[in-house]
Formats: sequence, structure tokens, C-alpha cells
Amino acid sequence: MFVCLLKVSICKHACPFFPPPLVGDIRTLQWDTDPSVLQLQADSEHGRRMQRLGASKITQVDFLPKEVVSYCKETQTPLTAHLSEEEEEEDEEMMEAKSGPESEQQDEDDNRENKEVLRELTEEERQQILHSSEFQSFFECSIRVMERALAEDSNIFFDYGGRELEDKEGDLGSGSSLSFSRLFYDEHWSKHRVITCLDWSLQYPELLVASYNNNEDAPHEPDGVALVWNIKFKKATPEYIFHCQSPVVSVGFIVLWDNRSHRRTPVQRTPLSAAAHTHPVYCVNVVGTQNANNLITVSTDGRMCSWSLDMLSQPQETMELVYNKSKPVAVTGMAFPTGDVNNYVVGSEEGTVYTASRHGSKAGICEMFEGHQGPVTGISCHSAVGTVDFSHLFITSSFDWTVKLWSTKHNKPLYSFEDNADYVYDVMWSPVHPAIFAAVDGMGRLDLWNLNNDTEVPTASVTIEGASALNRVRWSSGGKEVAVGDSEGRVWIYDTGEVQIHWREAQLSWWPSRWVHGNEKSHQ
Amino acid sequence: MAEVEETLKRIQSQNGVQGIIIVNTEGIPIKTTLDNASTVQYAGLIHQLVMKARSTVRDIDPQNDLTFLRVRSKKNEIMIAPDKDYFLIVIQNPSD
Repeated sequence: MFVCLLKVSICKHACPFFPPPLVGDIRTLQWDTDPSVLQLQADSEHGRRMQRLGASKITQVDFLPKEVVSYCKETQTPLTAHLSEEEEEEDEEMMEAKSGPESEQQDEDDNRENKEVLRELTEEERQQILHSSEFQSFFECSIRVMERALAEDSNIFFDYGGRELEDKEGDLGSGSSLSFSRLFYDEHWSKHRVITCLDWSLQYPELLVASYNNNEDAPHEPDGVALVWNIKFKKATPEYIFHCQSPVVSVGFIVLWDNRSHRRTPVQRTPLSAAAHTHPVYCVNVVGTQNANNLITVSTDGRMCSWSLDMLSQPQETMELVYNKSKPVAVTGMAFPTGDVNNYVVGSEEGTVYTASRHGSKAGICEMFEGHQGPVTGISCHSAVGTVDFSHLFITSSFDWTVKLWSTKHNKPLYSFEDNADYVYDVMWSPVHPAIFAAVDGMGRLDLWNLNNDTEVPTASVTIEGASALNRVRWSSGGKEVAVGDSEGRVWIYDTGEVQIHWREAQLSWWPSRWVHGNEKSHQ
Repeated sequence: MAEVEETLKRIQSQNGVQGIIIVNTEGIPIKTTLDNASTVQYAGLIHQLVMKARSTVRDIDPQNDLTFLRVRSKKNEIMIAPDKDYFLIVIQNPSD
């Protein structure tokens, strides 16, 4: 910045060059031989003199450029005074332009000045903030919401007038009624883990929890992982992630996660004690109503425990499942018929199926059903509620490549479905359609059987590309989707649309012929 | 914190996400994936906007509170998740 000075010299009229020194004046005249310095020569009391203005030499003075407001990490203490002055100027200008209330302006001033002050401590403060629990909980909640919002690609400006709207309804019905919907897979938590269990939430039908076995490639990661996935939103990451020290549903622990707390480790876990389970727990079922419910678990050593969800330190009751009072049953699957909290069926490693009761005179194992030639992998009780009670029917899947249909009233299978060429790992009745069930096998095949259509081959079948062996299959509570878990940590969601449309009027219209002859009174 | 970093990186790599800023109630950016100048600009402006939006919602119904704010413009979309103590701001370019 340059400033030009115009030197003003005041000289007496009489002597333009050498004004006489005036003694006794308050101001003294100063002689200065250097013409580049400002000379101000005061008027004397002797009256005004004529003032002669003349151009003087330009004086060049450099002013440092105005400090740019920058937030660097060094201390800015000497300059804060400057900056606050500048901001006050700017604020004044803004006040003229805006007609906002004055308090707002003052707040802004304060904010800006606070900004200046806090900026110096920011690095440490930042770390502090990032580590605080408030921040963590804020971050978790808002990131979840944000991811959902990001995933929705709703184009609200879309103009339908320009192109035909694809008729999606027409696709279903022709050919297979299984259509791929979603794939849930998390790079970090699903990789190299086998899916051990799937379950849909009753309270929020769009939520699905999948439990995973341990990751052998990553020994430092927690052994057990459970992820909660949401099919309602398009985001591809799990809603919640839970860890557990042991592979989930595989070693003798049963744990309960509290979704409300923000911790990722189990809130409660049952102790590994002789009173509870000491063998892998493969079956977990919650029975009862929403208010009065119990957690029933069975481990492979034949012990069944009933727990109250409020207190997991000790089971409410235990029972050893032994057949004929001698042989403990190695349970691999358990199922309760709809609405029944006392009687249930279990499948065992030897391939036999048993019915059992929790209470009553015949508490324990009641009857034995033989038929499978290999360990029973999955067991499912008929669950669709309709005009006829089919709750005595249940199906089982086994390593012997078959799925068998049983009734609790007969100890031989009613029918055997033999369309698979590999171990059948899981089977489940549809919760809404009385004649439909799904099965998955080790070749990556998902089958949908509709007994009203055909009992020789599945009505719909799909081999999931990229899947190795399918471990688990679970229908959603509405019966519209099927979740399939595979041995590599992937959860596949398939829509079963068309098949379900007429379920309300559907009945199981097919009976195995020998049963019709045997039991007239059961036949509708 | 490493998890926060990871999560931010993951979101940043998603389709169309231009930047993420976390601001505290005073308008000071705590974490950001944008350059300093833009961060400061966004933080200051958005902070005012959120305050105005929040007071609007509350004036209409004192029992109500602002939960999410989405500003859609021609070129991009700014999504703000406000909380008691912090805001999460994500700038996205919806590609389709």
C-alpha cells in the first residue's frame, strides 16, 4: 500500500526561505534539511500567513497486506485483535444489508469469535469429542439414518410421460415363481463365515437377523457375529452388528443382545455350567405369547433347558431328553407346532425323529419316528392357520438327500420327497400357504414345493449362482420372501410373489393315498 | 476413532457422495472429508439454515423438533441429520 503525502509548508510572508526563529512561541519552528519528511510549521500569533501549497516528494510506505482469515494450527494470539476488528467491520456492513434481529447478529459475532478462540485447541478437542460417548451414539444413529437416505434413489422428478412404465406385475406367474430380490453380504463381517441361523423379527417384519460362525482366516476377530439386516431399505449394510466371543449357536453359550444399548457385545449370557448346557446348542426357540414367553434351547447332548428372558444366569427348568430312559438324544433340530408350548418334535443325529413334551405326565421323549438314513438337519412344523388343522404335520430334511413329511400320529413318514442330489440342509413350511414349503441343499439349490401342484418335483427351483452350499432357509412372517443363508456368509432374499396370491383360499388338497385309507376320520 | 474413520470412508465411496462434514452445535467442523475452505463455508451456512429450520418447526408446534433436513438443488443434494449436540452433513450428487 502506498500513501502519498503532500507536503504542506507554511512560510512567513516576509521571508520565504529563512523565516526568523520565534522565541517564546509555544510551538517552535523546526528547521529540517531533509525535504522528504513532513514539516508542519505552526502559525505564529502574529496572524495568519498566506499558506502556499506545493507538491512534495512522494513518500512510499509499505503496509502489510490484510491478514487473510485462515485456520491454521499455529497460535494466532498476536493477530486475534486484528481479526476481530476486521470481523466487526464486516458485521457492521452485514447489519446494514440484512434486516435480521440484532440478537442473531450478536450470536454470530460470538460464534465467530468463539471460533477464533476454539480453533487453537481444536486438534485435542476434536479427538476428545470423537472419543466421547455422546458423539458415538449420535454418530451411530445418524449414520444409520443417513445411509438409508442415501440408498433411496427416489427420483421425485421423474417424468412418466416420456416412457412406458414397465409392468412388473406381469413378470411373475410365468415360469418360476422365485425371483431374486436382495443379497446381504458385508465385506468385513460376513466374509469367510458360515451362516448358522436366520430369523425374522416378529415385531418388525422387515428385519432379519443372521448369525455367523467364526472366521477362520481372521483369528483376532470375534468368533461369533450376528448381523441384523433390513429388507425395507435399499442400503447394503447391516442395521446392527453384534459380536460374541464364541461362534454363535455352536458352543454351549446362549446370549441375549440388547438392541437398545449401544454396545455391541452381549448384554447377558448364560454361564457354561453343569446346570445349563455343556454341548453345542443348535436349537433356540422362543415359545409363548409376547407377555409370557420362554426361551427353549436344546443342545446336542440331549439336554433341554427352558429359560426366562429376564434371567439368563440359570435355566428355569432342564430336562434330559432320553429315549427309553437310556439313550440320550443328540438333538440337531427342534420345532414347536403353532400355538403349542408343551409338545414339540426334535430331530437327531441318528436320523430318528422324536416327539417330546415339556410338562405333563409324559414329560420328555414320547415317541420315536424312524425313516431317515442320515442325520436330520432341519425340522419344521406346519404353521399355516386355516380351516383345517394340519398342526400334526411336520417335515424334516436330512443328509440322506430327502425331505420327509410326517404326521405325529404315525411313526412312519407319510411321504418322501426325493428330488435332491445332495445333503438337504434345511426345510421350512410357508407360514401362510398350507401346501408350500421351501428346502435348500448343498448344491446351492433352493426349492419351493407346492403340494397342491406336484409332489414329484418342486414347483419352483433355482440354483443360486455364486453360492456354495445353502445352510438355512427361513420364510418371512408374511410369506412373501424367503431368506437363504449359505456357507460363505451371504444371505440371499428371494421373492415368492405369485405363488402366494391365492393362499387365502388355498387348502392342502392333496393327501398321501395310504393315509386316506387308514384314517377316515382325519380326512376332510 | 478408527471405526468412525472407516464408516466415513465407506460412505464417502458410495455412489455420488461428494463430502461429509460433522459439525457441533456452535457450527465448528469436527470431522470433514472436504477441503478446509469448503468445509468452513458449508458449516457456517448450513448451521444457520438448520437453526432456522429448527426454530420454524418449533414455532409451529413447540412439542415438535427437527429430525432430518434435505436440500435438493439442481446440481446436488445436501442431507443433514441434526442431533442435540452435533449435525451430520452429507453432500450427494444423485447420479440418476
